Amino acid sequence: MNPLNVVSPLGLKAVEDVAAARRLDTLDGKTIAEFWNGVFKGDQTFPVIRGLLRERFPRLNIIPFTEFPHVPGSDHPAHQRELARRMAALAREKGCDAVISGNGA
Amino acid sequence: MTTTGFSTLARLTGQSGGVPDLRIAEYPGPLGIHDAGQIATNIGEALIAQIVHGLTQAGAGSGAVAPRSDPRAIVFTGSEEEITRHFHEKEWSDGLPVIAPTIERVEAFVAQSGRRADERIAVLPSANRVATPWNIAVNAVMAGCLPAHMPLLIAAVEALGDERCSLNNIGSSSGIFPYVLVGGPIVQQLGIQSGPQLISRGPNPAIGRAIGLIVRNIAGFRPGASYMGTFGYPLGIVLAEHESSPWPPFHVEHGYSPDESTVTVGVTNNWGSSPSPYATADKSGAHVALELLCREVLKKTRLFNFPARGPDAEKIMLTLLLSPPVAQSLADAGYSKADVKRYIYEHATLPLEEYDWILRYTAIMRTTARKLVEAGVLPPEFAGSPGDRVRILSSPDVLHILVCGDPHRNRVMVMEGGHTQPTTRRVVSR
Repeated sequence: MNPLNVVSPLGLKAVEDVAAARRLDTLDGKTIAEFWNGVFKGDQTFPVIRGLLRERFPRLNIIPFTEFPHVPGSDHPAHQRELARRMAALAREKGCDAVISGNGA
Repeated sequence: MTTTGFSTLARLTGQSGGVPDLRIAEYPGPLGIHDAGQIATNIGEALIAQIVHGLTQAGAGSGAVAPRSDPRAIVFTGSEEEITRHFHEKEWSDGLPVIAPTIERVEAFVAQSGRRADERIAVLPSANRVATPWNIAVNAVMAGCLPAHMPLLIAAVEALGDERCSLNNIGSSSGIFPYVLVGGPIVQQLGIQSGPQLISRGPNPAIGRAIGLIVRNIAGFRPGASYMGTFGYPLGIVLAEHESSPWPPFHVEHGYSPDESTVTVGVTNNWGSSPSPYATADKSGAHVALELLCREVLKKTRLFNFPARGPDAEKIMLTLLLSPPVAQSLADAGYSKADVKRYIYEHATLPLEEYDWILRYTAIMRTTARKLVEAGVLPPEFAGSPGDRVRILSSPDVLHILVCGDPHRNRVMVMEGGHTQPTTRRVVSR
């Protein structure tokens, strides 16, 4: 049998890539936000992370996840986008230089 | 931050959002079962340095722009066996042999769709990639579909791309996968099975497989990378309601004409257990069926989410499959589909202390019913006494009833889904 030529089953790319935000030169003296989605023990991990970062960088200002919306659930895409916009705006308002987010498992 | 096994998902999420250089810090192991001491140790020894590095050091691929591909480009040349092997290696197939998607075969499928090959049908999350008649056809060819299935598949992809379907959220560890319900005249036209062993007969398996391949290759859900069901996924399920149903079919319930052909995409994380109600001297078959359905609802994994409501609640959907004799017994007893849903809503109850245990020890949010009442996610009855019985469903509307399967059996099955709502589209043949 003659060899067959086949095409790709993959979808076409729809989103343009952008560069990630510029990294910080140091954490010393900076302000960092914690974003939590209310699940996977973020209430246990963030305080530990916060303590260890403060040990290393005494002048680091960390705004805890309790200062931001963190309601679990809310799985409607439009609701999720709106929540992300609100959280980003709030982080800017609080003078944050960076965000630790995700907390997925 | 991720845990082991989820970093690939995080990277893919960054890529699909246009940030291929997302910085990731990985916690080692299954955080959920670790105690506070293990968590502190793992963060100190493994995670904290990665967090500092991610915040202060740029990644290697910063700003890279991925090329767009030519959908007609030849990606491999070989025998059918070599093509199957190549597609397995690329993770483009589900592990079964594939029909080779040659240009000629794909063109024949596109022709049956009545659409332009490059027409944008939907952008499918999680990869945020464009579905076109061309790439839908490629996956349909691979799955063993017929060209005549294309209008149905295109309607299904439109449904998958609808935000109501919320496809982006199905990668969960609980193993949610889409199922397809076909309604209207197209059921007969295509020979879609609705009776005995329906998901395993006729064109149903090939169409279900095509949906699975589309979810894998266009939506980008790769098992173990972005499709995180702990025990994996079965081949896609295709359903249709049996002609002997005593009730209007699903698509008519939802405002479509009986003469319209439709596809509905729903989700489930289970297939299988199908208990049977028996009429006895003290209870009718209809009565037992209702009680049995309540008991089945209470066995489900995501029970902790069932009573939540409002914009901050996670969505649920429960699809009840009733074999025709069970539906007939209920109809003969005077129940409509809406009545059955209302009965289950009213009678599927648990002691509050039992619900609280499930919420506290098996739910990812590790909270209590009382806290969720305070957050406005649960109604006030969930702040009652431990022995109070609480209704486990937020509304009768989270229940969906389909009459299908063997017309000579008295069986029911409850399929449990989450994050999405059943999403229906007309099938347009051009």
